[in-house]
Amino acid sequence: MNPMIRKELRQRMRERRGWILPSLYLLTLSAVITVAYYSTAWGGNDRIQGWQVGAALFLTLAYTQLVLLLLLAPVFSAGALTIEKEQRTLGGLLTSLLRPTQIWWGKFAASLMFVLLLLVIGLPVLSAVFAFGGVGPWEITIVALTTVIILGTISAISLYWSSAFRRSVHATAVSYVTVVAMTVVTFIIFGIAMSRLSNRVGNAGWTSIPESVKAPLYLNPLFFITVSLVPRRQLYPEWFICLSVFSAIAALSAILTLRNLRRSGDVA
Amino acid sequence: MIEVDQIQKRYNGSRGLAGFTMRVEKGELFGLVGPNGAGKTTLIKILSTLIRPDSGAARIAGIDVTANPRGVKRVVGYMPDQPGLYQDMRVLEFLEFFADAFRIPSRQRRAAVDKGLEDSGLGARRDSFVEELSFGMKQRLFLAKTLLHSPQVLLLDEPATGLDPMARVDLRNQLKGLNQQGITILISSHILVDLEEICTRVAFIADGKNQADESGRTVIELQKEDASQPRLYEIEVLQDAEQAAKHAAKFAGVTVLDVRHLRFVVRIPSDPAQAAEFLRHLVANGVPVVKFDRPPATLEQRYRSVFGGKPR
Repeated sequence: MNPMIRKELRQRMRERRGWILPSLYLLTLSAVITVAYYSTAWGGNDRIQGWQVGAALFLTLAYTQLVLLLLLAPVFSAGALTIEKEQRTLGGLLTSLLRPTQIWWGKFAASLMFVLLLLVIGLPVLSAVFAFGGVGPWEITIVALTTVIILGTISAISLYWSSAFRRSVHATAVSYVTVVAMTVVTFIIFGIAMSRLSNRVGNAGWTSIPESVKAPLYLNPLFFITVSLVPRRQLYPEWFICLSVFSAIAALSAILTLRNLRRSGDVA
Repeated sequence: MIEVDQIQKRYNGSRGLAGFTMRVEKGELFGLVGPNGAGKTTLIKILSTLIRPDSGAARIAGIDVTANPRGVKRVVGYMPDQPGLYQDMRVLEFLEFFADAFRIPSRQRRAAVDKGLEDSGLGARRDSFVEELSFGMKQRLFLAKTLLHSPQVLLLDEPATGLDPMARVDLRNQLKGLNQQGITILISSHILVDLEEICTRVAFIADGKNQADESGRTVIELQKEDASQPRLYEIEVLQDAEQAAKHAAKFAGVTVLDVRHLRFVVRIPSDPAQAAEFLRHLVANGVPVVKFDRPPATLEQRYRSVFGGKPR
């Protein structure tokens, strides 16, 4: 096992946030699912079926979980390398026989594992949804996979910012700006482009929207999770484009982080 | 063992090293002396492979630091001026992590960690968290971590900074012991008394370049006396040191350097016979000499002669 992963996990689980954040995460998830249940099942519609409640709860859970994890992912990764600079421990790592790729992988894997731990501890809440039906293993699998890909990308981007800055507070702030840019700004740009398009050609169906207008959405985590929820046969074009875009961003972030790590001897 | 040839390094336009050259032989305990910003840390960081030089060459045990940094890491132990430790790890965990990071085979790892704990005197604190240790203990722990992979060369950047007097004595003894075991040590320090006690030779550095003393030497042997050099004599008189100093200044070749209370210091050209003649001259002129002594030419005096007395 990469010694960095063991060290990182040991240190993370000793921190107070190692149990505070999962507790808050579970409480929030439970509260949201309770509110969603009462507003769906007791919302005045007597004819609502059990599977409809299940589907509604699943959608609520999928988006809530993603938003919460998007907020939490930078907490674990944006400070991962800056803390080594702040503690002046980076020099010790760089002068050991650990390769920069091992240091990066140790930090990335440990950050992602902690976020995955949150996903896993959310399973009992998810199991409540199964009681109502309307959701199958495919939906669960594709949503979980998409969430992991998104979180992996956000972790890789936050690690890059962590390698670029000297202080955790700056790396964390810029990581959140990136998350907001990807989730909110891309949607606003898409909205503006769509309104211009509507003015020109009237209401257009999804398939008739030019790719140049859709392009900002391929960077949007909420869009990525949305396209994973469509029926299996309609999944492929948009989901795979999002997969390619997110994978490319994660790979580029990793390459740039490694370059920064190799050059960080003067601040180590 | 350590060869540095015309090494240059610039940081954002300002110069860190400007053609520094040095050679440290195997088994030496070599000191690097210079004012703040002289380039000592830059040089040690280059030798430890943390930063790459812009030009010039540096080799440790024949391995080029730029071409084969991984090979250099295997033979070098590096201790920075502010050793970073993981405060939330236990002492044992910290050493185990670095034993793993230095790829010490699993069968030898336990023995290496136990030896580190024993040599650093931290065996009884193996389960303590690092944050619970005193500053001196933390320094010993970092040195133990630096020695885990049995390096041939130790690069120490201001290792005594912040240590109390006893911890400094302890560190000096530890370094002497390591040097006697055959480890070549390059140490930079502002504490000249420490360097003087443990180093075999020192090099002066300022503005990223070698600095020469008044006789043009860039490296000074500390354990040998150089007969060709002028000598300092400290003279104590019974009364009126000012008047005595005036008589002293009349003697050919003698320079009065300092007059204080009932003492004055003079520099006499190297020949001891001239010193004897000078003493006769003082007595003949009625100077009541009670002490005529030759203080050792300290590193501090040499430092002053190279860099002047003012802080830079």
